[in-house]
Amino acid sequence: MIVFSERINGMYRDVRAAIPEQNKQVIHELLELQLAGGADVIDINIGPSKGDPLENFVWLAQTVHEVTDKPLSIDSAKADLLVKVIPQVREALPDTKLVINSCTAAPAYMDKLIPIAAQCNTGIIGLTMDQEGVPGNVEKRVECGATFLMAALEAGLLPDDIYLDPITLPINAAFKQQENVIEGIRQLAMINDPAPHFIIGLSNVSTKCLLNKLLNRTFLVMCLTAGLDAAILDADDQELMDAMITAEVLLGKHLYSDEYVKAWKMQKGLQLVS
Amino acid sequence: MTIPDAKEKWTGLVNAVTIGATKEEGGTRGRTVTIGGANGIPFLGFDGQTPHPPAIALDVLDQPPTEWPQPLAETYQDVWSDPAAWARRVKELGADMVNLRLVGTHPDEGDRSPEEAAETVRAVLEAVDLPLIIWGCDVPEKDQAVMPKVAEAAQGENCLLGAALETEYRTLAAAAQAYKHKLISLAPCDINKSKQVNILISDTGFPLTDIVIYPTTASLGYGLEYVYSILERGRLAALSGDRLMAQPVILDVGYEAWRAKEARAADGDAEAWGPIAQRGPAWEAITATTLLQGGADLLVMRHPDAMAAVRNIIKQLVNT
Repeated sequence: MIVFSERINGMYRDVRAAIPEQNKQVIHELLELQLAGGADVIDINIGPSKGDPLENFVWLAQTVHEVTDKPLSIDSAKADLLVKVIPQVREALPDTKLVINSCTAAPAYMDKLIPIAAQCNTGIIGLTMDQEGVPGNVEKRVECGATFLMAALEAGLLPDDIYLDPITLPINAAFKQQENVIEGIRQLAMINDPAPHFIIGLSNVSTKCLLNKLLNRTFLVMCLTAGLDAAILDADDQELMDAMITAEVLLGKHLYSDEYVKAWKMQKGLQLVS
Repeated sequence: MTIPDAKEKWTGLVNAVTIGATKEEGGTRGRTVTIGGANGIPFLGFDGQTPHPPAIALDVLDQPPTEWPQPLAETYQDVWSDPAAWARRVKELGADMVNLRLVGTHPDEGDRSPEEAAETVRAVLEAVDLPLIIWGCDVPEKDQAVMPKVAEAAQGENCLLGAALETEYRTLAAAAQAYKHKLISLAPCDINKSKQVNILISDTGFPLTDIVIYPTTASLGYGLEYVYSILERGRLAALSGDRLMAQPVILDVGYEAWRAKEARAADGDAEAWGPIAQRGPAWEAITATTLLQGGADLLVMRHPDAMAAVRNIIKQLVNT
């Protein structure tokens, strides 16, 4: 599974404060933990931090890049901001692969962001919703996912650069939607060969719930079985990572060995802690 | 709209491992042998390359065998009392490497001492300049005493030492690392154990890239298919990027094939089977060529006719 780390996000107080202060140390320390846990892509989101959003994004991207040259996922709900940020970050970090997080299947969004993805050779996460809002069922998710996928492929993006996100909602607010995410992944995985990637913002399933970690790791395993192959999550949550690795071994994605968690870490070149 | 390439894109490949060291490299071998390096399904040229064709080693024992059938006896009888002479014979026959088995160190055989074993190794190294594979006697307590001495005697020659097991790997891994040899990792017909043994070896600090995997071997009629399936899964794991399964593979074809009654039965005993002079080597050759298709990089063989047949097949397969 492709691990997008979620922690460098201005929704967290420490990150939100660090950005306008340009406090690199806070970012670096959080980043080290995510990398040690096995992050493949670093999702960065300036959140509601003070100051100029464009400058903040570029600063945050450069700060992360000082520690790692892993790909960066540029996370914002504002298409107009992304349209400006992506080319700037690309210019500042020309050798870093970027992923646009995210676009929807609404024509207005797709018209803005898919061309940027094509021009700047980035990956792009497509949310399976359109201008009508968050879908309440499987069918709408599949419809929006297919629409986005077709538009992206037609613009010349490769399936390997496309991530479909069937929109995860919190279990304490929307109780039938988790099944719909799972079924949505399963159905969308069949509409193209090769299939695109499938990703979720995992922590969304447990926002403001008490047993967040248990909910997160259980939902992740359920989605992996349906065909999920990427997730935005806390790579520092060792139990979560262990559950993910175990699910992948059980699904035959990695050859089993008695110390299979260690084997996964060795494969990634991570430090092994006894 | 770009149409994606439908061909499988492998993210991994089999490691290349070099055995032997020339004078420039601190040894006394005439040449080195490199095995492995394949980046596709065995011999499918459109899927990948075979940069190093499978190599063949011939067996040399440190004491005369007692039950070798006639075709092997007639090839080696005049030399098998002297490992150095035997090594010269296998070089003459065209082997890429010598596979020295210290069977005489087994407590129930000659119970030869570590010093005697080291002497044999030195004698073989002096007799021929082929790279060397060295196996113990399979009794852990004895091998723990013998193999470090042997590794020391062969230091500088970059030999391939066998074999580390899940329950017995520390001594050999330490000796291989100290004296800079390559190491065979053994897990009998169990691919998951194979991966685990590599983890354990790596834990000692021994490099994964200096390991050769030995999944054991079974001949035609006696489990060939099972070994084939292990080889196939191992190769696919390597190609899929699993660095714990990316090691090249050694197979003990000669020993296994000549255990079969189909290979050993004397001419009088099984008329319908045909003459042993062809039957025995054929059993060995077919075992080898079948398993090569599953994915193997180094074959240990016995009969020169079998070796010739296998070389012929390898040449044709690699050039396709």
